Amino acid sequence: MFHRFTEPVRVAVIDATAIARDMGAMTVEAEHLLVSLAAGNDPAGHALRDVGLDPGEVREAIRRDFERVLGRVGIDAAGMDLSANCRRTTPRWGASAKQGLERALEEAKRRGDRRIRAEHILLGLLRAEHGAVPRILEGEGIDRDELTGRL
Amino acid sequence: MLTDLTSPEDPADGLAAVVALRRLAEQLEAAEVERAMRAGWNWPDVAEALGVTRQAVHKKHAKRLIAAGVELRRR
Repeated sequence: MFHRFTEPVRVAVIDATAIARDMGAMTVEAEHLLVSLAAGNDPAGHALRDVGLDPGEVREAIRRDFERVLGRVGIDAAGMDLSANCRRTTPRWGASAKQGLERALEEAKRRGDRRIRAEHILLGLLRAEHGAVPRILEGEGIDRDELTGRL
Repeated sequence: MLTDLTSPEDPADGLAAVVALRRLAEQLEAAEVERAMRAGWNWPDVAEALGVTRQAVHKKHAKRLIAAGVELRRR
């Protein structure tokens, strides 16, 4: 699949690994791809920043989501930072990110595009019904269909 | 940290919590294995304490700890 990625997508995919590691995640997930897409100088990056999601805001939203999710089972993870030890491990690709890339391939095909572009990756991520990405969008008050419509 | 472990009403919240707890457990494991090895523990003791095989704990953590400059006891 990598050979069909446009240059911005290659950059986003490589950056997502660095972002996941920096955030102390053991796997690269869809939400880390969302952070790297938000930095892009392409339709996906513009669409995300237009709705207020710059890379820093997405990272903050991921952290808040983690705390909120744990809070719902009675665990207070606010201010906990165990990520330092994980930063020396290269994260593997997690299921949500892989699924996002597979859906991106489908989006490219559906639009008759041979290349996989950043907007296809974002469309792929936006199709998730569960997980951090839809929760973050909901938490930020962003309408998924409206964002999809911008792409 | 643990206040009152409760089961949320919505399964989506419960399932999301499982994912977050796994991540938290992985991070805690990385931190505690490093702390133990820095304190002079050996692999068999760390493995026994974690309830996994020595091979498993070594495979999972050795490379990272070597990169961190932790002096590892062989046995």
